[in-house]
Amino acid sequence: MTTKPAIPDSVTHPAVLDESSAARLDALYERLAAERKVSIGYPCNQQFDYAPLFRFMEFAVNNLGDPFSGSNFRMNTHDFEREVIMSFARLTGIQGEDCWGYVTNGGTEGNMYGLYLARELYPDGIVYFSEDTHYSVSKILRLQHTRNIMIRSRHTGEMDCQDLEESIRIHRDVPPIVFANVGTTMTGAVDRLDRIREVLERQCIPNAYIHVDAAFSGMILPFVDGPPPWHFGAGADSISISGHKMIGSPLPCGVAMVRKTHMERISRSVEYVGALDTTISGSRNAITPLVLWYALRTHGDEGFRELVAESLRKAAYVERALKETGIEAWRNPHSVIVVFPRPPEAMLDKWILACSGDIAHLVALPGVTWDTLDEFVRDMRQAIGTAV
Amino acid sequence: MKEIIIPVRNAPGTLAAVSEMLARAEVNIEFIEARVLGERGVIVLRVDRYDAALRTLNDAGYRAVTEDALVLDLENRPGSLAEVARRLADARIGIRSLRIVERAGERSLVTLIADDPGAARRVLAAELVTGDGA
Repeated sequence: MTTKPAIPDSVTHPAVLDESSAARLDALYERLAAERKVSIGYPCNQQFDYAPLFRFMEFAVNNLGDPFSGSNFRMNTHDFEREVIMSFARLTGIQGEDCWGYVTNGGTEGNMYGLYLARELYPDGIVYFSEDTHYSVSKILRLQHTRNIMIRSRHTGEMDCQDLEESIRIHRDVPPIVFANVGTTMTGAVDRLDRIREVLERQCIPNAYIHVDAAFSGMILPFVDGPPPWHFGAGADSISISGHKMIGSPLPCGVAMVRKTHMERISRSVEYVGALDTTISGSRNAITPLVLWYALRTHGDEGFRELVAESLRKAAYVERALKETGIEAWRNPHSVIVVFPRPPEAMLDKWILACSGDIAHLVALPGVTWDTLDEFVRDMRQAIGTAV
Repeated sequence: MKEIIIPVRNAPGTLAAVSEMLARAEVNIEFIEARVLGERGVIVLRVDRYDAALRTLNDAGYRAVTEDALVLDLENRPGSLAEVARRLADARIGIRSLRIVERAGERSLVTLIADDPGAARRVLAAELVTGDGA
């Protein structure tokens, strides 16, 4: 006869922090609340309210596995994740039945998935990416041991397609994998897919792959009039979009979207190792699909259209205000990133701006108020000593 | 002895700043040389504590290049990278990675990792910033 151990079914521990630890949390909260107001250099929308989702934090949920294949671990949100992917399919110009995807930990994982898929399809392929590409792509290429060639950028940040064509011409026997930025990190430039396709057609390349990093602009371009060709409809094979950038999320997240036929081809190729799990991570966040689902449902297309329009109005406003101050500010079309010469260090002590070499930028997101923009312009005017 | 190559702005005091930073990190410099390339330049280093030096430089924001990469000084114009790729392809040397590190004025600094670094070094001898390398 088995004797049960003499411990209760439920062991409770007093969930009380000591005073100094509680004070540290209070201090952290105050610091983050203060820095949110001056954090205008990074594309993270800080304006959101996910309070109705807080109750789900009591569950140990995990979206391990393919959201479209089911899992024995039923404490998941796969059904919501599938709806999120279907919504993004509509926004990225592909029929739901033709695409596959999942919610990632952020844009980098989506890029890694796209490049992994490309490398599996074309093991000898060379990745071409512009010098304005996010630094994480270099890490991915190193990790995946994929051959790669950097392409010059134009002064706007867009890939120089003449340079791309020259490089592809030399390696015509090797399938090109073009990594296209739809919204570069520093200037919001778009590598137009029609121009990339023209290069591939002129060089008579039969096998090629285009991955699109639309981390930020992937939630802007669906909501503007006359966007440049950027998505599946323009020839993309996979797309990565961030969830915590334009949409806004307290937890980093994103979506990896791929043509279903590609995913099915590599699924077959990995069957022999018994690894039918098609996602990169095993355990996956089950809360972020809820966050994205909630945001997509509550805003709707019209809501996002208005958020994007508001951001573009703010970007145009601050660009104009800086120019009136004598600062050479500029923007790419459909971009909410305003680029200007790197400001004096004193400005960087107060404002959280993104700087690269001689330039800096601010991102006019919905949560950045008009007052904040006015204060920034006033500070810039004072810092460079060009009071009007 | 392994080399570290640091692309820098051609500005007074840069060499001293790098030396002092490494001294503070207790890295002994065994060889240091600055080469001017138009508006930019490179500092070539050999040190006793290679990994510590790399970490210190990268923490300070320098884009230190390890010696597995060849560093090339090219014209800053469309097609110059492609010409390098052509010469390597003609010599049947595979490119693992080819990327721009710095672009300023008429020159650009480029790093190259090739399947056969020795052969690539011979083919691109005229463009190499570091002639002797490893």
